[in-house]
Amino acid sequence: MKPRKVKGLDPDGPLAENACRIVEVRLAELRSFAPRALESGEQETLHDMRIAAKRLRYVLEMSEPAFGPTAAEGAKVAKRLQDLLGEIHDCDEMLPRVRAHADTLRAQDAAALHEGAAGAADLDPAAAREAPNRARYRGLESLGTYLTARRAVLFDRFVQRWEKLESTGFAADLLDGLSPPEPAPAARADGAAA
Amino acid sequence: MAKALPIPGLNPGTRFADAAAAAVEVRAREVFAHADGVLDTSDIERVHDMRVATRRLRAAMEVFAACFSKSEHKRLLREVKALADVLGERRDPDVAIDALEGIAAELSAADRPGIGNLVDEIRRGQGRGNDRLGEALERLAESRLEERLIALAGTARRPAATPAGLNGSEPA
Repeated sequence: MKPRKVKGLDPDGPLAENACRIVEVRLAELRSFAPRALESGEQETLHDMRIAAKRLRYVLEMSEPAFGPTAAEGAKVAKRLQDLLGEIHDCDEMLPRVRAHADTLRAQDAAALHEGAAGAADLDPAAAREAPNRARYRGLESLGTYLTARRAVLFDRFVQRWEKLESTGFAADLLDGLSPPEPAPAARADGAAA
Repeated sequence: MAKALPIPGLNPGTRFADAAAAAVEVRAREVFAHADGVLDTSDIERVHDMRVATRRLRAAMEVFAACFSKSEHKRLLREVKALADVLGERRDPDVAIDALEGIAAELSAADRPGIGNLVDEIRRGQGRGNDRLGEALERLAESRLEERLIALAGTARRPAATPAGLNGSEPA
């Protein structure tokens, strides 16, 4: 996923101001994926959200000298989210691999039984007892079931975590904590407070 | 996992391009400091440390992209991404094998042969990943990527003030 362009960066400007602009864009990018990710749980959107969390985390880690603990805390939140989405991604990556491996073993077994029955008019069901990979299917089925269920558990946890982050106003808190302090109001000519 | 080295001299008022130069320089040196022994398959942490350092470098290059010449930045970022890809190809099987062995240990004995067979297949991919990483490291040395990254970092730094009389004109 290509990152959104950050406008108005000034290489000659201060780190804090530029970093603030980048964090704003990266945070908005992360939040933009949430509605679809929560509703569909689809692999691609969750993956994009993970990349967005990673980009937010890195800019916050790099801005720590400019923003202090607010950036460090924001980076931790982004990392926890990235890690959780990473665990879901691992299930999404491993599941097709497990299924493909089981399919390969089945195809190898079918080929072996076919070869063993050369010239026969039909195949005796007892031949399946001799399939070379017969002891391997069960573990792959159990693994597939486990990964499917684990993915669902992790997705539930992701939904809860995201809803909690939004309901506690993490985005607004982060941006408030990063905004450079307002300049002190100029003293009025008559000496009274503005 | 190795902790990231601090970037010296950064504060809120640091010129953005000077922060870029410092960050890219430190992160580039960090990547190559982890290159020794990375092909040793008996120590899976080495490849992990180099991969993490590569991710940090890539992140610094992306965050500070506005401070560098577009074409050179793009070319070097592409090379860093390619390095990250081969490190990933080598590292991902370690992670997958570790996870699968952990799951297999919790399942019944009857379930283990299937998972063990899948682990064997992944291990074969691990060897191929190591070969590709070895080739990539050789190419990196030939292409002097580290030096070119340090040079890129230097282009963002504010030029030092020119001493009087050395800016092409004769002193009065």
